[in-house]
Amino acid sequence: MRNSVKEIKTKFSTQGDFFIEEESYDKMSCYLIGFKTLIDLPKTKLYIQQMGESCTSKSALLGKLSEETNVNTEQLIKGILEGKLVIVTKDGKENAIVDPIVQNLNSSIGEPKNESPVHSSTDAFVEDINTNVGMLRKRLNTDRLCHCTYQVGELDKRRLSMLYINGKAPNDLVNKIHHQLNQIDSDIETIDDLNKRFEKRRLSPVSHFSATELPIQAIHSLKKNRIVLFMDNYPFALVFPNLILDMFSTENDRNFPFILTFMLRFFRVIGAVATVIFPALYVALVSVNPGIFRTDLALFVAKSREGIPLSAFLETIAMVVLVDLILEAIVRLPKSVGPAITMVGGIILGQAVVEANLVSNLLVIVITAVVIASSAVIGMQNSLYIRLLKYPILVLASLFGILGVFIGFIFTIIYLASLTSDDIPYLTLRFEHKGDTK
Amino acid sequence: MIKSKVSRLSIVFLSILFLSGCWDIKDINNRSLPLVLGISKENGQEYKLTLQIPIPKSDNQISRTVTEKGKTVTNALGHIQTNSENAIDYSQVQLIVIQKNLAKNQQEFRDLIKFLMGSEDIPSRALVAITDDNVENVLSNINNKLGVNASAIYDYFNKGTAWAPELFSTPIWEVYRSQFLSTKDIAVPAVRAGKDTVLVFEGSTILRQGQFIETIGPKDSQMINVFNNKDVKGYTENLGFASIMVTNSSIQSKIKMNNNKPYVTSDLRLKIHILERKQGITNKKIYEKIERLTERRFYNLLKKTQHSQSDIFGFGQQFQHVISYHDLKDWRYKYYPDLKVDFKVHANLE
Repeated sequence: MRNSVKEIKTKFSTQGDFFIEEESYDKMSCYLIGFKTLIDLPKTKLYIQQMGESCTSKSALLGKLSEETNVNTEQLIKGILEGKLVIVTKDGKENAIVDPIVQNLNSSIGEPKNESPVHSSTDAFVEDINTNVGMLRKRLNTDRLCHCTYQVGELDKRRLSMLYINGKAPNDLVNKIHHQLNQIDSDIETIDDLNKRFEKRRLSPVSHFSATELPIQAIHSLKKNRIVLFMDNYPFALVFPNLILDMFSTENDRNFPFILTFMLRFFRVIGAVATVIFPALYVALVSVNPGIFRTDLALFVAKSREGIPLSAFLETIAMVVLVDLILEAIVRLPKSVGPAITMVGGIILGQAVVEANLVSNLLVIVITAVVIASSAVIGMQNSLYIRLLKYPILVLASLFGILGVFIGFIFTIIYLASLTSDDIPYLTLRFEHKGDTK
Repeated sequence: MIKSKVSRLSIVFLSILFLSGCWDIKDINNRSLPLVLGISKENGQEYKLTLQIPIPKSDNQISRTVTEKGKTVTNALGHIQTNSENAIDYSQVQLIVIQKNLAKNQQEFRDLIKFLMGSEDIPSRALVAITDDNVENVLSNINNKLGVNASAIYDYFNKGTAWAPELFSTPIWEVYRSQFLSTKDIAVPAVRAGKDTVLVFEGSTILRQGQFIETIGPKDSQMINVFNNKDVKGYTENLGFASIMVTNSSIQSKIKMNNNKPYVTSDLRLKIHILERKQGITNKKIYEKIERLTERRFYNLLKKTQHSQSDIFGFGQQFQHVISYHDLKDWRYKYYPDLKVDFKVHANLE
């Protein structure tokens, strides 16, 4: 059995952080094998020593340290890769895979970075999948919360967790997802990789999952018959299926009186519709159908556009693209430079563009309103895809005017209605498929 | 056969792009937006079209007038289109001023209204007004007045009822419709260029099936508003010893046929507000005076219109279920002159 140590040694000879240390305690001498980067070695040694003091024999000690004793070499290697400590006796006859004291590689529970809930608890999910599931369990004390774990991938076995409430989430959906997750044979790096595993949506801007950082929101989704997935090292809960109302309502709203909740959600709907329609409406009214304006408004608009060389469509598309660029640039930049760009982009550029008579004052107001409105919806991914939806409508508006705006809007809604995730339409307003308790 | 979905989509997309003719679309600042269209006829021969076009460039909006002549209205419009610097967009035309001598010729006037109604460029909601004056004078009058916007003429007719209860407006489609009505005639406001203000309201012109009948004064026009159940709130009346303002009015009419002659009882209830009065004048006296004054005004107008056989109040509308459709066609000539109206006014304090 000594050759197992040799085998492990040759296998990991290229790893700089791999260690094999000879250690002798009063009852036995053995090799400790593992990765320095994953194991806190001094503390672990101390731990083993303390355990050894109360034990009478070698095998008793190993048995006490671990339940996985005397396994074959392959399993030992797997254990090492998972960050466990492998103990092999000097004679090579006995071995054990021990849970060591680990190096702390995870960030501690902190505040959400992408969402800023008002009037709510401010802890957010972290990278560690167990912590995340624990956070849910702590808040949801029920035996009906089911937790299935998967390890998928070709190169890297990534851990996935699926949580649902037994009796709430529809059984056939749970089975289907279980099946789909088990079938994954390639590496899952991003949500998009996971998305592809579900229904095909190659060019769709809408994901199958709505990602949330907030445990409250995840629990609310669970209670509303939905399924929550976790990926290891990804500090978001992925709620399946993603429904359109996720864009407008969050559980946190309900911490306010009903009428305020209603107001907040109503404004988000206005924001989404305004983002999609406003630039298109501007182009349609200014260039194709000015007859709709009231007279004084028509004269005002004509005056505001006096001497502008660009056509309404060109100026609008230029401004919309520019603003989307600024938004993206602000995200990319380090936090210390961000405000500077905001100022240059927002104030100086906006001012200069108007003063140079390149775009009309009215358009700048419209664009500003749209940028603000697009941020009113919940979730960055929703805000992004709404920003994308405005472009086709803008093009249609420049061709067909008001008619184009409404055709574009209707087709956008038809398109959204055609989206399904596992046969659940994206436009489902209430997800009420109750499963029965198994 | 085109198989791939992508190439089919791209054909659809490209045809949308290249067949839509979007390069002909003119932005609003490249269009001239005439607000008022004046139509007159010179020497009984050529139509003369005058447009009032605001110039949006300056802060103080001023406007200019463009005049063209042509054998027909289309002809004249075509001339304007050719000679103008910008594309002319008639979608904002708010008012069409027609000279009286043109309106007097029934056939020509009917043709004109039909053309205006049928034209896709000119909105059928544009208001119609008739003037004695030279149309050009009316339109260019805006520029001579200090502090008046280009949209002044539009504003003039859109003050809101409570602010100018005597003024009323008639869109083209109503004029067009009235040509086919046999039980109701229509009044079109008559205006002229003012000395201090842009326009002066002179009353209204009664049109019977597109035929010019006569002009009545503003106070009489007010009676028509009352019978059409329009709000006459804000209407003031000077009674000599007092002046009042009407705050609310409602009219109820009952009809019957007596020996094949139409008979109407109408009760007008006026809620009034006394603005000022001389000393010692009681409410009762004011009520009596306003009642008598209104009644007399109504009977005068009724007599006048019965004489000219134009049912300006639309009484004929109310007899639609009493008289057969066939007979109603002759309402103006057979029944209306014999119409008896028992009109009572009940004034009361608010």
